[in-house]
Amino acid sequence: MIEIQGLTKSYRTGRRRNYLFRDMDAIFPSGKNIGILGRNGAGKSTLLRIMGGIDYPDAGRITSNKTISWPMGLSGGFQGSMTGRENATFIGQVHGFWGKQRRRLLEQVEDFAELGDYFDMPVKTYSSGMRSKLAFGLSIAVHFDYYLVDEVMSVGDAHFRAKCEHVIEEKKKTSNFIIVAHSMGTLRKNCDIGVYLSKDGIEVHEDINTAIAKYENTGKQNSSNVKKLPV
Amino acid sequence: MIDRSPLHIQRDVLLAMLIRELKTRFGSLKFGYAWMMLEPIIHVTLFSALFYFRGGEMYPGIPTPLFILAGILPWLCFNKCVTLSLAAVSANRGLFNYRQVRPFDAVLARVVLEFAIFLVSFVVLFAAFTWVGIHSPFNDIMAFLALFFLFFVFCLGISLLFCVVGERYPEAAKLIPVLMRPLYFMSGIFFSLEHVPPQYHNYLSWNPMLHVIELFRSACFTQFKGFYADSGFIVIFTIFSIFFGLLIYRVNWVELVRSK
Repeated sequence: MIEIQGLTKSYRTGRRRNYLFRDMDAIFPSGKNIGILGRNGAGKSTLLRIMGGIDYPDAGRITSNKTISWPMGLSGGFQGSMTGRENATFIGQVHGFWGKQRRRLLEQVEDFAELGDYFDMPVKTYSSGMRSKLAFGLSIAVHFDYYLVDEVMSVGDAHFRAKCEHVIEEKKKTSNFIIVAHSMGTLRKNCDIGVYLSKDGIEVHEDINTAIAKYENTGKQNSSNVKKLPV
Repeated sequence: MIDRSPLHIQRDVLLAMLIRELKTRFGSLKFGYAWMMLEPIIHVTLFSALFYFRGGEMYPGIPTPLFILAGILPWLCFNKCVTLSLAAVSANRGLFNYRQVRPFDAVLARVVLEFAIFLVSFVVLFAAFTWVGIHSPFNDIMAFLALFFLFFVFCLGISLLFCVVGERYPEAAKLIPVLMRPLYFMSGIFFSLEHVPPQYHNYLSWNPMLHVIELFRSACFTQFKGFYADSGFIVIFTIFSIFFGLLIYRVNWVELVRSK
């Protein structure tokens, strides 16, 4: 279970403060995959990062007895001058993998990421696809109760994407996902609960489909206001 | 995920950060770790040469290279702690995506590493000088270790303070490295307070680094008198440093990490 109490978060935009959430409460029951939807700038990624304990709100608190991952496929923490193996070692060590467990973790990452000799080359020599593969491999290798997904559920070429999707299906048996996505297909396929972030606040829908319907409805209303161009 | 106590996590993160810092700073260079001796060696050679041509010893009874070595090593350590901690938050921002890693860990790892470099350079260079015949009887190893510990706490406090300053007040952060330059000449790296006319002592002795260096020399050399070194001042300064360092960090750390 993840419980959100009195969450307030704002960003400074010029001279004003722009509030994403104001004194927001929500409870996410255990064992459900959660989809977060809303327009650009509604605060989806921020909410995701606050839930992951990476970012902090202005006020309020998040409590959970579950372990929550870093955003899946994130490669921002890599050090370019270190090799893929060294970077993976560091992240493993931070999460408590030493000795034999560390070796097993590295084998898993090496095996999944399919980087070949590049696994022992500095990360700065990687293409962006290779970085994503390494990051994704790491996310997969460390077990969490909840995985955070910010748009990225699969990376790389068609073959690797299929592999990602397969491994996520496997993961779903033991873990849950909290997903931010603009693709309704992804959300429908992977989520049970829908969280819709709008200007008026947060709505938690028991069924992802009602949340999607609500979101698409608001979208339609907005687009009907757009003046039609003369043909 | 492995279930760990908070202390266990702290230990894991500190070790991981230390390994990472070592790898990124020295790992890719040829003869990697030998490079950390380079800076003290350059200072010692330069000033020894200068005083050699001027003739005579800097301090009676203590070989000039050793006298400088005992002064330059604490100074370089302090200087590195200050400059690295000013950039500690911005340089490690990517790592804060892992919730276990916070600015405290970045600062602690850097300070621990600087002190490890200090100790290793001290032992290696002292041994090297003894081997080539430049030596002086070591005075008091316990006093040295006690001072080393005190100095570590002193630098940790200042570094925690400066990691907040570096991120929240970037203008002040530009000024501090500039102020380090005059401090370098006022910290007794190539003189002792005993060489300075007493009427200036009132001003110079406010500088805690001067006392630290004088105390290190008294711990190292039996011939060094260290009349004016005040260990009480350093103890009090260290208590203030760690107290304010931790306080300022504790008040500000969320502000350092979160998006604004």
